[in-house]
Amino acid sequence: MTATALPAADPPKLKMKQGNNLAMLIRQPVLLVTILLVFAVLFIFVVLPMITVFQLSFTTEEGGFSIQPLIDILTSDKGGYPSYRATFWNSMLLGVIVAICATAVGYLFAFATTRTEMRGKRFFDLVATLPIISPPFVLSLSIIFLFGKQGMITNGMFGIDDFEVKGLGGLVLVQSLSFFPVAYLTLRGILESIDDSVEDAAFSMGASRGHIFRTVTLPLSLPGIISAVLLVFIQSLEDFSNPAVIGGGYSTLAVEAYRVITGMNDTITGGMLAIILLLPTVAAYLFQKYWLRKKSFVTVSGKPTQVRRKLHEKHIVYPLFAACAIVTALVFMFYGTVLFGAFVKVWGINYEFTLEHFAYVFTLGADALLNSVELAAISAPIGGVLGMVIAYLTVRQRFPGRKLMAISSMLTFAIPGIVASIGFMYTFNHQPLLLQGTAIILVAMFTFRNIPVAIESGTTTLLSIDPCIEEASTISGADTGYTFRRVILPMRRNAFFSGLVYSFVRAMTAVSAIIFLISPKWSLATSKVFALFESSKFSEAAAFVMVLIVIIFIAIGVIQTIVNILLKPKAKAPEAAEIKLALSEGEK
Amino acid sequence: MKRIAICAAATALALTFSACSSSSDTIKDADGNEVAKELTIYTAMSEDELPTYFGGFEKATGIKVNYVRLSAGEMVTRIEGEKENPQATLAYAGASDAYIQMAAEGLLSKYASPELANIPDQYKDPDGYWNPIYVGAISFACNKDWFDKHTDVAIPQSWDDLTNPGLKGMVGMAHPSTAGTSYTVLATIMQLKGGKNIDDADTWAYLKKLNENVPQYSKAGSAPAQDAAMGEAAVGITFAHDALKIKAKGYPLEVTFPNDGTGDELGAVALLNNPNASEADIAAGKKFIDYMLSKEGQELYIDSASYRVPVNTQAKVADGLVTLDQLKIIDYDAKWAAQTKKELVAKFQEIVDNGQNVKTS
Repeated sequence: MTATALPAADPPKLKMKQGNNLAMLIRQPVLLVTILLVFAVLFIFVVLPMITVFQLSFTTEEGGFSIQPLIDILTSDKGGYPSYRATFWNSMLLGVIVAICATAVGYLFAFATTRTEMRGKRFFDLVATLPIISPPFVLSLSIIFLFGKQGMITNGMFGIDDFEVKGLGGLVLVQSLSFFPVAYLTLRGILESIDDSVEDAAFSMGASRGHIFRTVTLPLSLPGIISAVLLVFIQSLEDFSNPAVIGGGYSTLAVEAYRVITGMNDTITGGMLAIILLLPTVAAYLFQKYWLRKKSFVTVSGKPTQVRRKLHEKHIVYPLFAACAIVTALVFMFYGTVLFGAFVKVWGINYEFTLEHFAYVFTLGADALLNSVELAAISAPIGGVLGMVIAYLTVRQRFPGRKLMAISSMLTFAIPGIVASIGFMYTFNHQPLLLQGTAIILVAMFTFRNIPVAIESGTTTLLSIDPCIEEASTISGADTGYTFRRVILPMRRNAFFSGLVYSFVRAMTAVSAIIFLISPKWSLATSKVFALFESSKFSEAAAFVMVLIVIIFIAIGVIQTIVNILLKPKAKAPEAAEIKLALSEGEK
Repeated sequence: MKRIAICAAATALALTFSACSSSSDTIKDADGNEVAKELTIYTAMSEDELPTYFGGFEKATGIKVNYVRLSAGEMVTRIEGEKENPQATLAYAGASDAYIQMAAEGLLSKYASPELANIPDQYKDPDGYWNPIYVGAISFACNKDWFDKHTDVAIPQSWDDLTNPGLKGMVGMAHPSTAGTSYTVLATIMQLKGGKNIDDADTWAYLKKLNENVPQYSKAGSAPAQDAAMGEAAVGITFAHDALKIKAKGYPLEVTFPNDGTGDELGAVALLNNPNASEADIAAGKKFIDYMLSKEGQELYIDSASYRVPVNTQAKVADGLVTLDQLKIIDYDAKWAAQTKKELVAKFQEIVDNGQNVKTS
């Protein structure tokens, strides 16, 4: 017997018929308006650009409709390198390997920081957020400096001068390091919310720690694991920067899409490749939804629990600590290389100490930095709240088109940035939606491209919270909006926080999604870093990245503080003094 | 209610950003004509050189340049995507084949600068859409450290030297479909060895042989020079100005030119076909083109340490810079190259860079 085999406690709303759903909706105008609003923004900023991409892909040069390009891509061995079919399988293979590696590492960190009494948990928490907070190609550059043919480690330490770092191996390493924080953020939320008493019960009945992990903790964290695998898989598929820099001969779909669009000016094939990329993503997503729906993961039931000791046995904590330390060392080595590069005259050649690159960043790069911070700060809360709202609506409410909402909210996340960028450019370049050249188009891109992480972490925690808690609130007379604000959001504070941080960070570090959307007024930090990188100014790029990292760390601290203040659970047991006061007032 | 209020505030905030984006102020130039105070440009020029050129232009004319920097391919895609509602007045830098393509699609508007009088005819656009701003020859960026260690391999001086088996896996070249630079290389080899006959068997035999020394075709045109600088490759096929700029930073590069003939890239600038642009915008755009082609503008290549070769015969050249008259330059046919691109790249993928030749790495 495992915990997942508990009979699913169907929320009563599930049993209601469609007609009743509509009737329920009409009685709750706030809910109805929210649903309509969410549909409206999803339609404008997700579905419309997607339709544009489809139109571009299926329209021939003469203006007719044709699926010939799709057939060509699927059947031909020519045209691509080595062929689009091989490229497709390359992407799949890479995605699967990276998804497994990154989720395993993310789980390790999440488990260690939430369910044990290991030392240095705050520290490891910081380490696990470090890799997402830099533009990705920087890690790729580090790996070349460390492990390339003239690399500091391969050549400098071992004297190997023909080590091939480009290709599948290098990509797996860099992508796993870049994406494990996504898995970590998703898993931390769920592991934190597993009620200790479930594990305690097993322990007091005599189960060993290993047995408990296998039969209780691991199965209960399955929704998180699956979400993490899915998110990492999708990110690996649509990642452009890493394969472009160190993919070498290993071609992937996202890079091919970029290649045909900007190199051959062929938006038809490029859009088609993006559509092909959508298939595995949507399939993985549907599989996840179908699979999770059948099981119950409720452990937070609102019944009183006690604080108890977490895992502290030496034979468990020490190996965990060692494993975390090894990953940390790897992360530090990569970022240390960047940090080092930022302070030397010419990376790789002249190791004289200098601060001139930072002077460069704060003079010529200042505008772009401020723009990035401003837009990220606007889009993060919009994305964070919208993500929670969509998660709440799709998990807890029943209304027509619910699944459509769930799927469409994932789409912009799943296509390569360059194609999303094209979709936005073509869609929002004429009236009445003339947004090209404004900040709104960038905010919209950031919001809708990053929202799935907020939705996913929201969904997984929601699945572990018993609906009875909300019902208690509704029965006591609160409406849906009040329940959402006062009950749901505070209980999902961590998931909300993860969503906010992730949105902010991705907005600060997006590369290919903004290529066609930045404007003279709204130039962004990452496009500057990429431009510096292209003109071989590695040290300047490194300094830029360091400044970005510091800004993001400060921002995470600010977000944490705001979330804690805003969402501190308001209700608490009245203190003795208050009761006395109330009584005495009553007597008067 | 509070939530709605926050949303409304955010929207209002966003709208104020968009509202203050257009400023249509004008100034009077020396002849008393109205020109826009600010000019919007899409550019494929190296980011680090831009402050020199735009600063010089602003000092000379008082016009401020707002720009978006993209790669040449991205620039064309963007201008094409925005053609119904263009956002910029001018496209600046990037090789002439991009401009030939844009002209053919009706994305450019004609302008022949009076400064063209000082520029040799071979660099001019016969159709009068774009104006040339610099030339650069294809070169070999060689990593000196590598050649010091491998004394049995000579530093390449000709195209055939690149097929030396000693250089196996050590020649850096970008993919002709992604990098304009590399397409110029391919088109040069095709013109030099095959006389523009894209079915010439000997030329393809040469490219296949070269392919054995190229571990993979990188995506970015800037990558081969970087690879050579960092020792990832012994030789990178690239434009001389890109290689010399990296060399000037201290990387151990030696730049050589193929003595059997090399191709060149012609950088260009052009007005976009933009119905939204006012008379004053267009006047400012023309001023920009005139300035960049003038002696003063062309000599900025010295200040920016860009190693680009000016096209204006009046302009001074940086000390030690190899000018094109010192090299054996083929009569590169940019128009032929632009028109043949799709076919030639497809053939390249079919014959050279196909599935059978994938190297396990």
